[in-house]
Amino acid sequence: MLGSLLGAACGTSPDDRPATLEVVSLAVLAPTCGTVACHSSTTNVEGYAFDTLDGARAALRRLVRAGAPEQSKLLEVITSRQMPPDAPMADQDVALIEQWIAGGAEGL
Amino acid sequence: MRAGLILVVLAALGHAAHAYPQYQLSRDQTCTGCHVSPAGGGLLVENGFAVAESNTSFGGSSNFLHGAVEPPSWLQLGGDARLAAGSVDNGAMGGAAYPMQAEIYAAAGARGITVNVTGGLRSPQDGGSALHVLWSREHYLMWRQDPSSPFGMYVRAGRFMPVYGLRLAEHAIYTERYGGLPLFGEAYGAAVEYVAAGFELHATGFVHDPIATAVEHGDGGAVYVEARLGPHAAVGAEAKYSTRTEQTSTYGGLTGKLYLEGADLLFQAEAEIIHNALTATSANQLAGYLLASRPLADGWLLDVGVGHFTQDTAVAGLYRDSLDANLHWFATPHVELLATTRLELLDHGAGPTGGYALAQLHYRL
Repeated sequence: MLGSLLGAACGTSPDDRPATLEVVSLAVLAPTCGTVACHSSTTNVEGYAFDTLDGARAALRRLVRAGAPEQSKLLEVITSRQMPPDAPMADQDVALIEQWIAGGAEGL
Repeated sequence: MRAGLILVVLAALGHAAHAYPQYQLSRDQTCTGCHVSPAGGGLLVENGFAVAESNTSFGGSSNFLHGAVEPPSWLQLGGDARLAAGSVDNGAMGGAAYPMQAEIYAAAGARGITVNVTGGLRSPQDGGSALHVLWSREHYLMWRQDPSSPFGMYVRAGRFMPVYGLRLAEHAIYTERYGGLPLFGEAYGAAVEYVAAGFELHATGFVHDPIATAVEHGDGGAVYVEARLGPHAAVGAEAKYSTRTEQTSTYGGLTGKLYLEGADLLFQAEAEIIHNALTATSANQLAGYLLASRPLADGWLLDVGVGHFTQDTAVAGLYRDSLDANLHWFATPHVELLATTRLELLDHGAGPTGGYALAQLHYRL
């Protein structure tokens, strides 16, 4: 029973998160890339701020080519492990970003 | 390019000075046993200076600037400087050395009413003013019921970090980074706090900083209550709510502390449930941490911690676990060396792995 509870707590379903600007920005990029010393409104490293939806939209317009994940700088720095440099990004998050870009980068 | 990027983002692992909660229950019951602020960290009270002197390898004066300068009775001064160097593994190893903290603390006042200010340096802002590096992380007016005692009521108004959860120093800990206590998460607000021998209660209402760019973008409140079950055990409950146009976050959790006197071993634990509601969707998260701390010899302290963070409970495998080990050496009341390491596994090892090994030099003014 405990195993079932822990399993449920850790998630057992496939990733059905909607691939939208909102989810990519606030659920994925803000907590991993938008921390205060990095790409935040406070520090604005390289001119990118992912800690708000407006900031992320502005940054992603420079980093994403809608419909072309392979030509998007965002995926290039993530898949090459240049980013995020302080901790690995989950494979599911990388796949979600790729799915969003491939689908036309809704919301940009 | 990578070295430059690491220099910048490694600072996310840094932290401002906080209390050493590892001494709670084993040496002193509350943060106010050693610190001026009911949140802990920063300026020390008389007992804090005594603890700082006794818990070192070589001893010496713990007073401000080694006692070379004695401020007037209505003024307290202090400060912290930290540097770190080491390596970080995010799937590709890199190394760096960087400053973490340079801050001065001041508290001025009398008869239980003080103005408290923390000022210093922060990272520059790309494209911003050069003056951006100068800032005040905390500035607030505080009234305390009994300035001669660690107990009693405290009322604060101004910019400060709401008291919430365990408040451990390392901000890479999941219950802090993802659990409602991010680095530089101070906000403007007002707090009513009561500290007694048997319990403490902290209630804070806050709004995001309307002037400067800040980490806390929402408005809301935080509550933390802790009850002591005898001299060496405590349980607590925490809640926080923060809302802004694009996101509302609700946090709730429990804490526990247990000191095993015979083994001189302190366990601290925290478990949180987090609900993040966006405009079109929402997610539930879990964050937990268990830390065991034991003094090894005069001036030496070892921490071993395990952490867990489920990023979205609805998604299979979207979680990470950490194993941390920190070795503190308090050489003198003013000098601390810290070795801090982490191994991080995603999806129980089926995903990428990471970690870091850092050496930190801490000088307390």
